[in-house]
Amino acid sequence: MRSFLLKRLASAIITLWLLASIVFLVVNVLPGNVGRKVLGPFAPESEVIKYNARLGTDRTLLAQYFTSIKRVFTLDFGTSYQFGTSVKGIIFPALLRSGKLALLAFVITIPISIAAGVYAARRQDKLSDRVIVNAGLASSSIPEFVTAAVLMSVFAVNFGIGEVYANPPAGTSLLGQLQYLMLPAMAMVVAYFGYIARMTRAGVIGALASDYARTATMKGMSKGQVMWRHVLRNALAPTITVISVQIGYLIGGIIGVEKVFNYAGLGSTMLTAVGSKDVPVLQGAVLLVGLVYMISTLLADLLIAYLNPRVRLETKR
Amino acid sequence: MSDSAEIISTPGADTISPESSPIKGLSERKQARRENWRLIRRRPAFIVGVLISVFWLVCAVLGDKITPHHPLDYRTTSHLSPRWSYPFGTDDTGRDVLSRVMAGARDVLIIAPPAALIGVLLGVIVGMLMGYLGGWTDTILGRIVEAFLALPVVLIGLLAITTLGRSNPVVIGVVAALFTPVVARTVRSAVLAERDLDYVTSARLRGESTPFVMFREVLPNVSAPIIVELTVRVGYAIFTVSTLSFLGAGPGRPSPDWGQQVSDNYNSIVAGYWWTTFFPAAAIASLVIAVNLIADSVQSVLEAS
Repeated sequence: MRSFLLKRLASAIITLWLLASIVFLVVNVLPGNVGRKVLGPFAPESEVIKYNARLGTDRTLLAQYFTSIKRVFTLDFGTSYQFGTSVKGIIFPALLRSGKLALLAFVITIPISIAAGVYAARRQDKLSDRVIVNAGLASSSIPEFVTAAVLMSVFAVNFGIGEVYANPPAGTSLLGQLQYLMLPAMAMVVAYFGYIARMTRAGVIGALASDYARTATMKGMSKGQVMWRHVLRNALAPTITVISVQIGYLIGGIIGVEKVFNYAGLGSTMLTAVGSKDVPVLQGAVLLVGLVYMISTLLADLLIAYLNPRVRLETKR
Repeated sequence: MSDSAEIISTPGADTISPESSPIKGLSERKQARRENWRLIRRRPAFIVGVLISVFWLVCAVLGDKITPHHPLDYRTTSHLSPRWSYPFGTDDTGRDVLSRVMAGARDVLIIAPPAALIGVLLGVIVGMLMGYLGGWTDTILGRIVEAFLALPVVLIGLLAITTLGRSNPVVIGVVAALFTPVVARTVRSAVLAERDLDYVTSARLRGESTPFVMFREVLPNVSAPIIVELTVRVGYAIFTVSTLSFLGAGPGRPSPDWGQQVSDNYNSIVAGYWWTTFFPAAAIASLVIAVNLIADSVQSVLEAS
């Protein structure tokens, strides 16, 4: 287990370095004046020079590259162009707020979609299975902001359920905040339900057809016992991977939902940064999301290794 | 949104049966292809998907020639609710929402399919190199691919479009570049399943050059997962491009681009003007679902064969 952990950590650090390099490359992909590109051809030259000086883009590329790599590992993302304060102080609280929304969405999505996936797998090719598979296919292909806008017009405006503005007033209790976060969370649930449910279904169908499931049934275990003790343990590995991969995408999709519901999370922060050409904040936010993604996939791999000894032992060989 | 590559790649890799060696002749392969195409055409999901897609394609090509009003004509009363003369109502400046939704198909269809196509082409090249050459090439490219996958497409796309300045070629390039690693991973695993088969070894022993073996021998045998990937990517490209438009990387006012329309109007949902947001949003959903129905049909037939 320890060698597995070390190996996995080393690869995470390499990925993190590449991640920072990609983000650096995106900003500097075209040679030339960053300030001019960001501010456009009509900005006065003095503004462009000021922008480059504040961003540090008037230094050599190599010096800039080292700074940006250092930033990822020290979690210091520099200074916001628009506010003049540290990027860290802006994006961390925003990430926490987005995290709250994402967590609520996940807490609702995971049990529902795993249950639906198991149910569909046990009734394979029957009507209820078809409904779950096709509804999942349709719902996961609609962009989150579209679902959010539709949910808002149907529930918040027509039925008065939930709130149009998702920011709870200061001092609202945790339970009171649910009222505000419900609709945006539902938009995320719609988007992620289908994917996790389909993945679970495929895993369970595969595991049910396996030799060990047959053996367990033949030695007289009940259907429920076979499901709990043998099938789910094996079938959930791909699902756990999918869930962890989804955390990165979840934060990607959350931007649209936050915009629709005017929620002050990482998404809104990024959109303000786009509007005011605040590249350091954008860079920091992208890196931070990458970091969150890496941690979640790392945890998922550990969880899978814990559930399935074969994975742990394989790395030893 | 999510990478379906994982699901597609594994079964996709099995679809290429070992007996499809080039020696057996092209006619057999052609026949199998024709049979697959016949099976795909018979699926109801495919037919529905094609009908919806063709409708939007016609709207995109003909644009304001077939819309009931001009998409930019603002001479009507603003915020009329849907009625016979304006089935989707009018927007905040009195433009016909139906005409704008129809004309808006062009803005997304001019970007998304080319972006998906370029992304798949690049992904095929990178994936072939990784899978066929293996070794260090595979390790290094694999690392880069993994790092790319850690970045949510929409976030990095937003950053790239902000620093590069927005134009149609930039959006196409950015989306294509972001799709490349995902496609590469799928193609790589398909190529891995082929690499050690006899026909590849014999081609190599014949003294064929590496590019020849890669693109003339291996490529035709991994075409099934590539075709599936292309159809899936078109769906994701529409998804991504409209999300980027909604988030402010759209062509800008007064363009009828769908994501842009939702972005321009969602604030007036509260005031009860739901139709200015609902119809362009439904248009996005209908096109993405239609393309995914096609992709799903293609995938199930090619995987079963």
